[in-house]
Amino acid sequence: MHSLAWISALAFLLYLAAEGAAIAQLRKERASLATLTSLLLLTGFLVHFLALELVGRATKMVPYHGLASSMSLFAWMIAGAYGVLRVIHRERGAGPFLIPVAMLFLGASMLAQPAAAAVPDPHLKGPLFALHVTLAIFGYAALTLAFVLALLYLVQHRQLHLRKTGLLFSRLPALDVLDRLRTLATAYAVGALVLSTLLGVVWAKQHWRSLWDAKVAITYLVIALHAGLLAAPRFGLGGRRAAWASAGGFLLVLFSYTVVNLYLSAEHLYR
Amino acid sequence: MSALASPLLLLGWDFRQTPVEVREKIAFSPERLAAGLAQLRERGLLGEGAILSTCNRTEIYGLAGRALSSADPFGALTAFLAEFHGVPEGDFAFSAYRRQGAEAARHLFRVASGLESLALGEDQIIGQVREALRLSTGAGTVKSVLHRLFQKSLEAGKRVRSETGLGSRPISIPGVAIELAQKLYEDLTPRSFLLLGAGETAGIFYDLLVARNATRITVANRTLARAEGLVRRGGRAVAWEDLELHLPQADFLVSAVSSTEPVITAEMARRALHLRRGKPLFFLDLGIPRNVHPAVGDLDGAFLYAVDDLQGIAERNRQERQKEIAPAEAVLEEELAAFMAWFGALEVVPTLTALRQKFEALKESEFDQALAKLDHLSEKDREKLRLMAQSLVRALLRHPTEALKEEPDPARRLERAEAVRHLFELEP
Repeated sequence: MHSLAWISALAFLLYLAAEGAAIAQLRKERASLATLTSLLLLTGFLVHFLALELVGRATKMVPYHGLASSMSLFAWMIAGAYGVLRVIHRERGAGPFLIPVAMLFLGASMLAQPAAAAVPDPHLKGPLFALHVTLAIFGYAALTLAFVLALLYLVQHRQLHLRKTGLLFSRLPALDVLDRLRTLATAYAVGALVLSTLLGVVWAKQHWRSLWDAKVAITYLVIALHAGLLAAPRFGLGGRRAAWASAGGFLLVLFSYTVVNLYLSAEHLYR
Repeated sequence: MSALASPLLLLGWDFRQTPVEVREKIAFSPERLAAGLAQLRERGLLGEGAILSTCNRTEIYGLAGRALSSADPFGALTAFLAEFHGVPEGDFAFSAYRRQGAEAARHLFRVASGLESLALGEDQIIGQVREALRLSTGAGTVKSVLHRLFQKSLEAGKRVRSETGLGSRPISIPGVAIELAQKLYEDLTPRSFLLLGAGETAGIFYDLLVARNATRITVANRTLARAEGLVRRGGRAVAWEDLELHLPQADFLVSAVSSTEPVITAEMARRALHLRRGKPLFFLDLGIPRNVHPAVGDLDGAFLYAVDDLQGIAERNRQERQKEIAPAEAVLEEELAAFMAWFGALEVVPTLTALRQKFEALKESEFDQALAKLDHLSEKDREKLRLMAQSLVRALLRHPTEALKEEPDPARRLERAEAVRHLFELEP
């Protein structure tokens, strides 16, 4: 575990350096800084993967058996999601706001890292369960991305409305781009959470006496809320209102990920 | 040999010192440009020549020809211009700038990067420099030196634009308006525009939108015929009375009509926004007095910008560009140093030195190899061979040395030096 701590720390430092380059690029738009940010982020992402791989090999399962490793996986997915945003959608303005989220969760996972890995329950192994949890974490990572994009939308909307056309205004993407990306991230999240829930139900039928659990209930709520957000523009609730709702909905995600996982759930409790 | 400080010359006039009435008299149309360059070369005034002629500047770049006086190389060029354009020298000679060597090259680099432009950092100039190179090359007066100079200036201009923020923020009112619009909807092509008015300002915006491939343009004007006249390149004209009908369908409203009262009231905007079901609407009010009621800006989903707002943003952007001058100049100096290193190497002395060193090195290596195989020779014979090789090198160098040193035409001298460098693969 000692080498794991070092590798995680290296990934954290690389994300930190990527954040520095992204902020520098926000201040001075240069192709060289954009390339540097991408390289640092990619290297951090790969080093972070190595850390997760070490945990996976030690426990012989996807690293989600404790709060620490699941937070690390969550951070890795956020970094990956932002990488996709950079490469496919050429979106660079959101970097300085998204990379710290990945750093926050990776840092928290490092602080919470137990001295020795707990021996996981043998029932928690197997592809069905692995896919269930991985999809769930991916869904939450996508919702985190949607949350940050919603906040950026609100900031940009306010700047445009108040005619504050400074540096941040010029660097942040157009409102329709932020709205589209937020909607896309929400759609991926809803899809992943629905699939994860279905797989979870199939798995739970084999191992649980009852399908009732606080985590399951809150997940249904998260899915319903965000599916509603996807349909909202058809009912005239797009743009700023949808961004507020998305930002507010993320509180539910945080509640589910923290309070529910730590205190309320009987079956999803991190031990 | 000429006593010119450098054969690379620039003679120019720009908007700073020369009024437009004078600039237009000495400007070159593309057709006249080729004729002018041909005459400059035929008269021996320039060995190589290129002319950059835009609405803001006329500049002649060249390598001094044999007929130029070393005491006043620019005098003959000015006299030629006066004769060519039929304008008295006194009308324009006073405001000319005259540069030689690195100063001439630096000026072109600054021009290509937009540092010498009326609108600091504008990028239209880079196309104009490229066009000047194309036309001058077509006239047959651009050879290796000016070709490299212009190419390097274009590269320097591109570097300045990519590595500094000199041209990143718009400083014109239409440019600012488009930037703002693109912060609402990134791609303007599929968006719907409603233009109120058919005067000059509306016409400028119509042209700007057409140039950006916007197709959904609606023009409403009190006189329908004038609106119909404006939309001949696409879009549609609608009756003024139907304005409120078309407002909810618009993503952008650009208003530039003369009216003492707002033509878009808060109530009209509220109804339109309600019908748009949450989709935002951008109001660009270019009218004085204002065409859009200020209360519209407070409505949810409405973004209202007036002329003063745009002017304020343009001014702030201008100040931001000013801050980028020093970084841009640093980039230019790097590029200039590289060009001048190459250009300096074309001078006779460095070329001959490099050639002599190359021959000496060849002599040494070949001689050593040959001697190693001839170990039966006495020391005396070896010395004779050494002297013979030395004599051969001197004989081989004699003619190129004379050809370079004695050529009176600076442009041809540089041309020959470059040929020598190319043939013998001499590094600059």
